[in-house]
Amino acid sequence: MFKLPITNDISEMEQLEKFVDDMAEAFKLEDDFKFQLGLALDEAVANVVMYAYPEQEGMPIHIEADGEQGKKLIIRIIDEGIEFNPLAEAPDVDTDATTEEREIGGLGIFLVKESMDTVQYERENGKNILTMTKNL
Amino acid sequence: MEIIIKEIKNGVEGHFVGRLDTVAATKVGSEMTKLGEYADKEILLDFAELEFISSSGLRLLLMLNKQAKAKKGKVIIANASDEVKHVLKLTGFISLFEIR
Repeated sequence: MFKLPITNDISEMEQLEKFVDDMAEAFKLEDDFKFQLGLALDEAVANVVMYAYPEQEGMPIHIEADGEQGKKLIIRIIDEGIEFNPLAEAPDVDTDATTEEREIGGLGIFLVKESMDTVQYERENGKNILTMTKNL
Repeated sequence: MEIIIKEIKNGVEGHFVGRLDTVAATKVGSEMTKLGEYADKEILLDFAELEFISSSGLRLLLMLNKQAKAKKGKVIIANASDEVKHVLKLTGFISLFEIR
């Protein structure tokens, strides 16, 4: 099991690159797979950093990853912030929209869903738990 | 993440080196502003050494493209890796820019 405890500060996200590198090495991930995993993590963690703890600093976010080589990877992002289901809050994305029609933002959770095979949200014992899996 | 900017014949070129993730996107504001000064001309974004992009980076690209569209300029994306191109395709960004 890989674990990365961070706090809700954007600069803490610099540790994600090494976290993904370590997983890529342990599970012998191809470059495109590693890219998609890095993308899902960057987006999902950014979402928690920005919204889970309004007006509070130094609050915990736990990132865990586990997997079986050749089968699948499971990643969990856990926080103790306000109840927030990113999957329900994410806007629909019109990928055919023109530059002028497009709003700034709103692509993060869309990219999480596109990059992983399953994404699931649960609220349990005062915690938000986002579980993402990707088949190897 | 570094963006190396130089003037070219019809406008400006920005050479992106490294990862344009959420953290990096918060640090390249002045470079993006500089590129935006050429919104009425050609803005060539060279992605040959761009290793990674996420939605925070896409947001910057969209803002730049909005500026260029408003001023009748053009944003061109060149030499993107297959992985970066995949993200541009998934989001439909591929059709918003001239891709080389």
